[in-house]
Amino acid sequence: MNIYRYIFRRLAGLPPLLLGVLTIAFLLSQVSQVDPLNSILPERMLSNPAAVAAAKARWGLDKSPLTQYFVYLQNVATGDLGVSFRTKRPVARDLMQRLPATLELVVAALLFGSVLGVATGVVAARFRDSVFDHAVRLFALFGSSIPVFWSGLVFLSIFSVQLGWTPGPGRLGSRTAAGPPITGLHTIDSLIQGNWPMFFEALSHLILPAIVLGWSVMGIISRLVRGSMLDVLSQDYIAMAKAKGAGGLRVLLRHALPNALIPAITVIGYSFAYLLTGAVLTETIFSWPGIGSYAVESARALDYPAIMGVTMLGGAAFLLTNLVTDIAYAIVDPKIKLQ
Amino acid sequence: MTKFPNPPRLGGALKLALLTTCLAMPFSITAGEAMAESKPLVIARNLAINSLDPSRAACDTCLIYLSAVYETLVRLGEDGRSVLPGLAESWEANGDNTAFTFKLNPKAVFADGSPVEAKDVVWSWDRLANAQGGMSWLLDTIKTVETPDAHTLSIQLTQPDAEFLGKVMGPNAAIINSDVAEANGARSTKDAANTDTAEPWFLENSAGSGPFVLQSYSPNDELRFKRNEKYWGEPALVDEIWMKNTKDSIAQAQMIQNGDTDIAMQIAPDTAKTMETPEIVVEKAPSYNYIYMALSPGAKGNTVPLTKPVRQAIALAVDYKGVIDFTVAGAGRLQASPIPNGFPGADGLPEPTQDLEKAKALLAEAGLKDGIDLKVKFPNQNYYGVDMSMLMQKLQQDMAKANIRLTLEPMTFEVWLDVVKGDGTPLTASYYAPDYYGSGQFVKTFGMIPGTRWAKRSGAERVEGEMNPKEEQLLNQALAAPEAGRDALYKDVAMEMINDRIIVPLVNPDNVLVFSSAVQGVRYSINEFLPLRELSFKK
Repeated sequence: MNIYRYIFRRLAGLPPLLLGVLTIAFLLSQVSQVDPLNSILPERMLSNPAAVAAAKARWGLDKSPLTQYFVYLQNVATGDLGVSFRTKRPVARDLMQRLPATLELVVAALLFGSVLGVATGVVAARFRDSVFDHAVRLFALFGSSIPVFWSGLVFLSIFSVQLGWTPGPGRLGSRTAAGPPITGLHTIDSLIQGNWPMFFEALSHLILPAIVLGWSVMGIISRLVRGSMLDVLSQDYIAMAKAKGAGGLRVLLRHALPNALIPAITVIGYSFAYLLTGAVLTETIFSWPGIGSYAVESARALDYPAIMGVTMLGGAAFLLTNLVTDIAYAIVDPKIKLQ
Repeated sequence: MTKFPNPPRLGGALKLALLTTCLAMPFSITAGEAMAESKPLVIARNLAINSLDPSRAACDTCLIYLSAVYETLVRLGEDGRSVLPGLAESWEANGDNTAFTFKLNPKAVFADGSPVEAKDVVWSWDRLANAQGGMSWLLDTIKTVETPDAHTLSIQLTQPDAEFLGKVMGPNAAIINSDVAEANGARSTKDAANTDTAEPWFLENSAGSGPFVLQSYSPNDELRFKRNEKYWGEPALVDEIWMKNTKDSIAQAQMIQNGDTDIAMQIAPDTAKTMETPEIVVEKAPSYNYIYMALSPGAKGNTVPLTKPVRQAIALAVDYKGVIDFTVAGAGRLQASPIPNGFPGADGLPEPTQDLEKAKALLAEAGLKDGIDLKVKFPNQNYYGVDMSMLMQKLQQDMAKANIRLTLEPMTFEVWLDVVKGDGTPLTASYYAPDYYGSGQFVKTFGMIPGTRWAKRSGAERVEGEMNPKEEQLLNQALAAPEAGRDALYKDVAMEMINDRIIVPLVNPDNVLVFSSAVQGVRYSINEFLPLRELSFKK
């Protein structure tokens, strides 16, 4: 199938899937039975009938759940995700403001995790049972098992407080004002504006949280790639390649690696979608104003419009990532056909 | 196993990665220093802002914000008792505290240069009442406000209210530039709750007369203040203040150790203890916030009647000093009644103590020799440095010694609100932070008087003999009394509330402020929390 037709067909399938996600999220919010006014009104005003009536009218809670659902769908269709109970701002605006911070962090973390994970996995497989192999496996084990909140605090304490090699929490220095946003990604914006000091500052703030977050991904990828590589390296076509005189590095990178990458691509794709809304601990430790912390704060406060918005964003991220992952499969392994 | 004769060399790649990292680090430090030209004063705290609209805001950061950007007619002195001029240069009350007259300072202007007039005061207070925000009750004793001229306000109250000045000092009673606010959707009429659309505007703009103006606000990220260049009084001592949202106590500690913040407001006491250096100052100040245990005789889940002797037994089982050590590493105080230390009526009250033998004896007298089992639903939050889960585990251990067996059920604050609004829970815990300087608020919240929050939540209204009319009587006397006799009356109410054994204060945590020694003017205030106007860098 033509790749463009395939992408179009998959994209056309997104709205019904998102509608399903939204409907389930809405039903769950109705099932929870907890009064949303608890998060809208201050504690004292909950016993004030006039304040309760005013709040219900203002937030549309005086309407039936069915009416609320259809009004919400109508608004979503026009790009209006409602107003957050908590921030009192449009949810779409909150998400757009936080998305660049998360994207910057997640992309950097995945770059670190994937490159290092693949590289260490390949080398560990190549030198199976060597000291390097054991060291990589131990490092990967730590990465995937140490809680991010702990490694984050320890890394901050060592590299930021004790050694002073990296800056503290935040996307920029606490006394630095970001320039006018273009993409919202400080590294990209500063490059576009030619502001090199700002670029290096943004980059230096990204290093520690990206390593902490990427380490957990790296651990999984490294072990997967190592396992796949060992499997692939024992295949007949590898022996054939060597018999035909292919060099060691060529066999490793050209013949074995592409076939061993399939499971890693799945994990990278899944991790991207998951971290987009799930990097909450890293975001909290590093005071990173991203989607993950927004999601958790919204959930704790029963901020239904925000919860629905994050759910939709997460759903869209998973669906799009699946699409990209499927396309990546076909690119890496020509035997896989897009259907 | 497959063997390869020529292993790939990795040294180059590793060297490149290390080189890149090492190159980026010094650049970043230089960049940070280079860009810190106008050096804002930075404060790290968990912002948790619900609104920046003076008529709707109800949070601790809101108090700091409103006090810096807006002004009230009078202000609370540094001693926590005296009344200082604010927008009003003079004021007087009649003998029974039912009529107040304020004269506005003719020099007072808003940040846009327009004068602060009596009409702005009337508009702001009407809006506070009618917008039905968190503090709409604050000035509910006002009957009429007359404005004989642009700088005079004559106020008649519906009943004596000796705390009226205290309420007027509350940051929510701040005066808004009515012309600017109206032009942006604000309304003060009776239907303001439904017709006022200005709350989003107030998230991006301010319309006050205070020493600062709002520069920018990004929810859960940062709040920036800029000096009001047209301020009519003593100007702010710093150009800009940036408040950075930093939720985690350890992250706040690391920020101040790195020099990334000048003040950290919520560092856990045990962490703060270890931080004092010549560059970092750690100050503990008594606060007026407290955590309390609430016992509900009318809760539907009660397995035994929570009579007064049983409640007394529960209160006697608590190791109060141990609670302070366990939850805030000793950085707190005992508190006898719902009227916190430092407020009128709190002096000289008997300190709470643990007496396990008496607790057991009281239970035995009530026919509960084998002890009791209580379900405890509580908000699983951290209030003023007190982790509620840790606190409840401590209570569980203490009470087990008196055969009072607690089953803990933590939940989010919002879910907990549903519980206490509904069936109630036999035992729970929560927090209170004063809304203004005056003890009446505690009686109106915790007293066993019809309609109060805890008379309802504890179910006491439904149980014979649990209401306490004497408390209402004493409160009314105190509100009408001259200052000299007020403390004694509030002390009597406090004793009544202690004997109710519905609300049992557990810990009054200190405020722990950690700041750079290069900063001065850092202090805690009831109304302003952290008065930003007093902050400056040492020369």
